Amino acid sequence: MNAPLIQRHAMDVQADILIEARHISRQFGAFQALTDISVQFRAKHLCAIIGPNGAGKSTFFNILSGAIAPSSGSVLFQGQDITGLEPHEYARRGIAKSFQITNVFKQLSAHENVRVAVQMRHARFDFFSPRAKLAGVAQTAQALLERVGLASLGQKPAGDLAHGQQRSLEVAMALAADPQLLLMDEPTAGMSPEETTVMMDLITELAAERTVILVEHKMKLVMGICKTLIVLHHGQLLAQGSPEDIRANPEVRRVYLGQG
Amino acid sequence: MAPLLTPVLTLIARHRVLSVLLFLLIFPWLMPYEALAVNILIFGLYAVGFNLLFGYTGMLSFGHAAFLGVGSYLTGMSIVHAHLHWLIAIAIGVGASGLVGALMGHLAIRTRGIYFSMVTLALGQIVYYGFYKAERWTGGENGLRGVTVPAFEFAGWTIDFTNPVTKYYVMLGFVAIALGLVSRILASPFGAVIEAIRENEKRAAACGYDVARSKLLVFVLSAAICGLAGSLRAIHLSVVPIDSLHYLQSGQAVMMCLLGGMGTFFGPFVGAAVFLYLEDVVTTLTRHWMAVVGTIFMVFILFFPRGIWGSLIARWERATTPSAQT
Amino acid sequence: MVELTPQLLGLQLVTGVALGAIYALLAVGLSLIFGMLTVVNFAHGAFFMVGAFLGIYFQTLTGSFALSLVITPLVVGSVGMLAERFLVRPLYGRGIDYPLLLTFGLSYVLIELMRVLFGIEGLPSSTPAMLRGSVDLGIGRFPLYRLVLIGATAAVVLGLWLMIEKTRFGLIIRAGSRDPEIVRVLGVDVARVWLLVFGLGTAIAGLSGVLAAPTRAVNPEMGITVLAESFVVTVVGGMGSLMGAVVAGLLVGVVFSMTSLLAPEFAELSIFVLMALVLLVRPQGLFGKAGLMG
Repeated sequence: MNAPLIQRHAMDVQADILIEARHISRQFGAFQALTDISVQFRAKHLCAIIGPNGAGKSTFFNILSGAIAPSSGSVLFQGQDITGLEPHEYARRGIAKSFQITNVFKQLSAHENVRVAVQMRHARFDFFSPRAKLAGVAQTAQALLERVGLASLGQKPAGDLAHGQQRSLEVAMALAADPQLLLMDEPTAGMSPEETTVMMDLITELAAERTVILVEHKMKLVMGICKTLIVLHHGQLLAQGSPEDIRANPEVRRVYLGQG
Repeated sequence: MAPLLTPVLTLIARHRVLSVLLFLLIFPWLMPYEALAVNILIFGLYAVGFNLLFGYTGMLSFGHAAFLGVGSYLTGMSIVHAHLHWLIAIAIGVGASGLVGALMGHLAIRTRGIYFSMVTLALGQIVYYGFYKAERWTGGENGLRGVTVPAFEFAGWTIDFTNPVTKYYVMLGFVAIALGLVSRILASPFGAVIEAIRENEKRAAACGYDVARSKLLVFVLSAAICGLAGSLRAIHLSVVPIDSLHYLQSGQAVMMCLLGGMGTFFGPFVGAAVFLYLEDVVTTLTRHWMAVVGTIFMVFILFFPRGIWGSLIARWERATTPSAQT
Repeated sequence: MVELTPQLLGLQLVTGVALGAIYALLAVGLSLIFGMLTVVNFAHGAFFMVGAFLGIYFQTLTGSFALSLVITPLVVGSVGMLAERFLVRPLYGRGIDYPLLLTFGLSYVLIELMRVLFGIEGLPSSTPAMLRGSVDLGIGRFPLYRLVLIGATAAVVLGLWLMIEKTRFGLIIRAGSRDPEIVRVLGVDVARVWLLVFGLGTAIAGLSGVLAAPTRAVNPEMGITVLAESFVVTVVGGMGSLMGAVVAGLLVGVVFSMTSLLAPEFAELSIFVLMALVLLVRPQGLFGKAGLMG
């Protein structure tokens, strides 16, 4: 920390940006889903992407998470261009996501779901050693299940879990890779009020230790807990800032017609 | 479930390779004639190799006859044309199948789901026509003849492959090694990866697994095992029929696996045994074996998709799992 | 050594188009069934074979090729519908491989059935009396029947295209290919549509069998190689695309025909190598949509 004050501040700011979208545009045939979106997401921040239906939130989310590639523009993660890489390469770099429609290994037990996710960091192509002997994988998996409140349901087939439990399982699987960035697409979709509270508490906890970016359309949920909000409308960046800024923003108010 | 069966199956599950080998040790005495036992051993191995790809990874290939055939032909040609030692010939057969598997896999894995079956069938036909046309080396339509291994001494015994019992136990040695390998693969971290891919490919990729490369690896392993079955078959029959490479031979692997039980360790052997024994019996009664096997296959798909052994295993699992009900 | 005159090449090209016409028809039927039901019909070659046999049978029975051209596809299509209703339908929702496997088993039964009905040697086939002879194409004489074959195929493809683009049933097919769920939600009797589409697809396979019979040996095994060739066409053209089926069918026919003339040893191999090349360069096929493959 001997660098002069101004330089150090610049370095801090650079280090602060975990993932960045630069001039992202996406077309589907004739339909322009996203137009020239540039956003910087800072590390250890809880941020939400919000906007009315059809605003392009899911498309933007899918581009950030590597599920689809942008038509133009780039995505940078820790300064490196990761645009267009395979989904598994996103996961390996420390970007984990939970899907909008719950996507778990339905026939495998909840424990095995998480164990497989944890195993990725230990062995991928090892086809000779007994996996039961892999040090710590099973224990880590159990610890993750406990973290999301599913410890007692480990042996149940994931497909037999309640909807909210499956979503929690997905979070456990996302955490298995110990990601720096956690992307969650509508994490509370289809949940009861109790389940929603549990999930939001979990998310707040997680945001303290890693970067979390949510896509949500329930404004009330995100207003209270997020540091930054990004508002999309008709595929364009309408506004970004703290919840107070957003609430006060006349454009946002107009678009939402007084909602939130 | 019969009270005796449950503990027996539990024991079998825990020591699966040993159990299968013990069964195979006594198997020739259960069959009407030894050559049938050898045939079942070989095709059981073929089905085991195929099952690794289909039952465990969920990839339905219709081109696996290419590996059986390449194993047979390369071993046969090594013996007939190059006069190599039979052990080396087998090694060449297995290696060649693995190589063809790598090539075929590289092309076929670019496709998804249903396409994969069509593409593997067509790629297998390339191998078929290739060997068909290379008459000078392969004998073309008439197949390769004269794959004989002279009797030799080993540890004080005279090993003569013209004796089917001797042949069976020597080949059982190879099958044992292959089964051991398959068991290791299935119990390894990679084994969990391929099952995850079968369950939900997208999910496996989201976890960080390179799905394409994993698929290619299991494809090559599967090809090598089927290649070994082919190598053994060449020595068993002393000829290599051209039909070994035709896609109907691939279909046979599918049928045996489904009959026995996909995604189970012992299922493929059960399927091969039932299939070949039935063929032996039915063909003495009627010419219309094809209709019989087609009908049985359809009946199993509609009503017993788990297969014979698979259904037994499913019953056992229900009996032994502590009730984690609703 | 045959002299390779432009005329000879030209005639061989037309032969390729005639062969390609059969391939196109087969691929169209396959594509229809797949597009709508997501089922790869492994019995497609067998239905082709049944069509060839029944075509000869009805022609002998009625004395008219034209009549057999109408009756045979109807009969084959009916068999297809029976198969869909009782064998394939129970498997929807079980996993994409099961209907495929079932049709494979079905092909075995169909082959044996034809052996039982018509003998293992097959039937002698000949060009219908009225369509014998040859036509002067300017570059040489060419069998009339094969020209008729090309014309008939063009007419069928045109008719299909009109049906798919202009009728309500065709609209359902187009919508269902893109999104089966939507069709269900809109209140269409999906089961009935699937039944008819499967019937239509197999009927087209049967029709191509009737048309092809005079040009090749008719035996119970004739569908086995044809199945593999249909798959090649489908991969090259792109599954689910009718345009792809037609273009690829013609392309494959021409490739086979020209290779038969220029490098006869490699004729069968050539079309599979073509497929391998397409897989390397454009895995979704010439007209296929990316995302389904690669």
